[in-house]
Amino acid sequence: MKNIVIGRYIPGNSFLYRMDPRTKIIALIVLMVAVFMIPREAFEMMFVGLGLILILLLIGKISIKRVYLGLRPLMFLLLFTFVFQILFNKTGPELQAWTLNYSFLNIAVIVAIVVFWMYTKRFIKAKFIYLILMIIAIITVLNQLTLGPIFATRQLVVHEDALMIGFFIMMRLIIIVTLSTVLTLSTKPTDLNLGLEAVMKPLKYLRINTEEMAMIISISLRYIPTLLDEANKIMLAQASRGVDFSEGKLKDKVMQIISLLVPMFIISFKRSDELANAMEARCFVPGATRTRLHQLFWSRLDTISLVTSIIILIGSIAVRVVT
Amino acid sequence: MAIKFKKVDFKYQGNDNKAYLALSNITLNIKAEGEFITLIGETGSGKTTLVQHMNALLTPLSGDVEIFGVKINRENVKKKRVKLNPIRQQVGLVFQFPEYQLFEETILKDIIFGPKNFGVDEKTAIERAKNVIKVVGLDESYLSRSPFNLSGGEKKRVSIAGILAMEPDILILDEPTSGLDPLGRNALLDVFYNIHTKLNKTIIIITHDMNTVYEYAKRVLVMRDSYLVYDGDPIELFTKKNIENWNLDVPDLLHLINQIETDLNLKLPKKPRNETELFTQLKAVLK
Amino acid sequence: MDIIQMKNVSFEYQQDQPVLENINLNIKKGEWLTILGHNGSGKSTLSKLLIGLLKPNQGEIIVDNILLSRETIQDVRKHIGIVFQNPDNQFVGVTVRDDIAFGLENLQVPRNEMVERIEKYAHKVNMAEFLNKEPHNLSGGQKQRVAIAGILAMQTDIIIFDEATSMLDPKGRKMILEYMKQLNAEGVTIITITHDMKESVLSDRIVVLKNGKILKIDTATNVLKDQETLEKSNLEMLLPLKVLRYLERENIADEKVRSYLWQLSLKR
Repeated sequence: MKNIVIGRYIPGNSFLYRMDPRTKIIALIVLMVAVFMIPREAFEMMFVGLGLILILLLIGKISIKRVYLGLRPLMFLLLFTFVFQILFNKTGPELQAWTLNYSFLNIAVIVAIVVFWMYTKRFIKAKFIYLILMIIAIITVLNQLTLGPIFATRQLVVHEDALMIGFFIMMRLIIIVTLSTVLTLSTKPTDLNLGLEAVMKPLKYLRINTEEMAMIISISLRYIPTLLDEANKIMLAQASRGVDFSEGKLKDKVMQIISLLVPMFIISFKRSDELANAMEARCFVPGATRTRLHQLFWSRLDTISLVTSIIILIGSIAVRVVT
Repeated sequence: MAIKFKKVDFKYQGNDNKAYLALSNITLNIKAEGEFITLIGETGSGKTTLVQHMNALLTPLSGDVEIFGVKINRENVKKKRVKLNPIRQQVGLVFQFPEYQLFEETILKDIIFGPKNFGVDEKTAIERAKNVIKVVGLDESYLSRSPFNLSGGEKKRVSIAGILAMEPDILILDEPTSGLDPLGRNALLDVFYNIHTKLNKTIIIITHDMNTVYEYAKRVLVMRDSYLVYDGDPIELFTKKNIENWNLDVPDLLHLINQIETDLNLKLPKKPRNETELFTQLKAVLK
Repeated sequence: MDIIQMKNVSFEYQQDQPVLENINLNIKKGEWLTILGHNGSGKSTLSKLLIGLLKPNQGEIIVDNILLSRETIQDVRKHIGIVFQNPDNQFVGVTVRDDIAFGLENLQVPRNEMVERIEKYAHKVNMAEFLNKEPHNLSGGQKQRVAIAGILAMQTDIIIFDEATSMLDPKGRKMILEYMKQLNAEGVTIITITHDMKESVLSDRIVVLKNGKILKIDTATNVLKDQETLEKSNLEMLLPLKVLRYLERENIADEKVRSYLWQLSLKR
């Protein structure tokens, strides 16, 4: 439970940490637009983008391992888009074609491979590579083995566009997620909240109270660890009364969840009631003007960073216009 | 021995991903019958972690805990060689805040929730509920009420009844009297004392109240910075010198006895364990 | 001078079920007053009325010469601070620094002054080295100290402690009591709400509440020896006084023993 840390801020010391959160948020948006500006035709530009990101990580002293951890949950999505492209994108010149032979014995071998994979994957550390190996193994079996009577054959044709677009989308996702990870890694949740509030100030004209929203986010940040801790305690308390969260039929599962949710709600209501009293007692009036302890200071670093990201945006627009 | 700790270590992972020691090298034996134990120590010294090992809610990082013959350690739990759930019926644990467990529409339903999870049929469970609600000092009319419209003390009693209905051999209570007024506290302690004497069950209470320790406990455990620093007789503990280093108070009764003995130059024949004993002894000495 | 006046104050959540009835209470400036009562006697409701979290159905409350009303409520709150029972449910900030700042931000204190006051009052409650710590890394006693610093920073002259020590361990409790003593010595008016008799010894006067009515208002010594009142309101007598009562009943104590026990029980 304790591993869920919103924002995953890692303390550090580099120019990324000294930047104003407002700059970081705006630069993130600018750079994202820049990435989306690059057309498919100029997909080699993605390497330039990736290179720039690597430079950013190096001079920003952000550990690449951390960024990889941020990307890991996305791996399956990336693989899926790639497979999807290869299976369904049939434009552009053919690169390679495999004949896939379907026979009962072949399918039996595949089932055996899948079962073997499912059983052994828990012992393998590099799960993602293991999954890819399994897919390759299945294709190889279908291509090479002709065991028993074959009842159908199919062609697996890989087109150039499929590879290119698959790769392009993958790169785009990696760059965007890396940029967001850099933001959350290098910005304290409170600063992020402050920055968001400042950036969203124009929404005031749409009658959205950004200060109140910022207060809500700030209190959520404050209470998330407390609530997780509480949920854990409630689980233990109900486990002490014989609730076995690892087992049970559907009917039992429903009961188990109720036994967690009801105490959770009741405690949270009581907590929010007491918190509201404590806030009011300390002269908090919703919507009233307040001064702020945390103030944001714009420095030259911020101007430079923002100008740099705008230049990158202009560059990518130029690329789009040229191609 | 019902519960045996052998060289148990446990660590918590903090929010900063560092590991914090919660239990260090704990070795401890608890009998299934006839013990009245209090567990004391500062906030964060590992008391709650210790009792959560006693009904297998937590698994030791190293060392092992044997509970009614079932050996709980990292390996056995990981390989699923032991069943944890039945242990929780044998060792009942009442959490500090009753709000953590009350969730049903009526108190009756809430009390029978535990027994039913352990396979007791509904009829028997209801019989038990009618019995335990009296044991905790409430009457049967409470059973049809909602567990949420109760005073703090009543909620505590209902949550204890919910555990008692599971008919555990050992009953553990985490700070059962905190936040109660003096009369509420004494009444609840008498409930535990009755369960202990009438049903001959072992009771373990976590508390910050030294008076409870002195007046009720036969044995006291002191936790300090994840270590078990004392396991023995309460009088001996409080007459030892270094309890102030452990941030423990002297119980009111003992404090008063010590003052009277030194300032008035009296000698009581035996350290009185409760008010009545103090009164009778004083009477004898002063006459 | 009376810093707080309650005149004929009554309060009920539901009709005809009064929680407080006809409360008349004057609190002097610089005084330490204890409100004693069993659970459910209405003592926490009383504190919520004083700080304007609840509105009396009848009667008036005057704090520092300001009549408490919807219009003046924010002014009154600048004079009164309150520390609640549960340390976790009153910690608003993400860090200790932010929490002490919270009240100051609401009062629109300029940033420079805010920073100064935070430093000063964090030092005062010995929490200066914890300014960047988050609440889940603090003990209950430390969180209550932060709550006190938050109120002191707002420079209020009255602090209510609403069972503020009841969820703490002995060490935490002792520390909070020390701060109460210290603040009172510096002239802060202290109101403690408790059922702990040992805490009430420290105060100047005691109000005993029972079922929403004032049973007795008197000096601490007079209330603590009043067995009848204490019994009526389900409170326990201090141990030395119990012994004294017993010895008197049995008629076996000489004058020396009596005065000794009496002194002992009122020792602060």
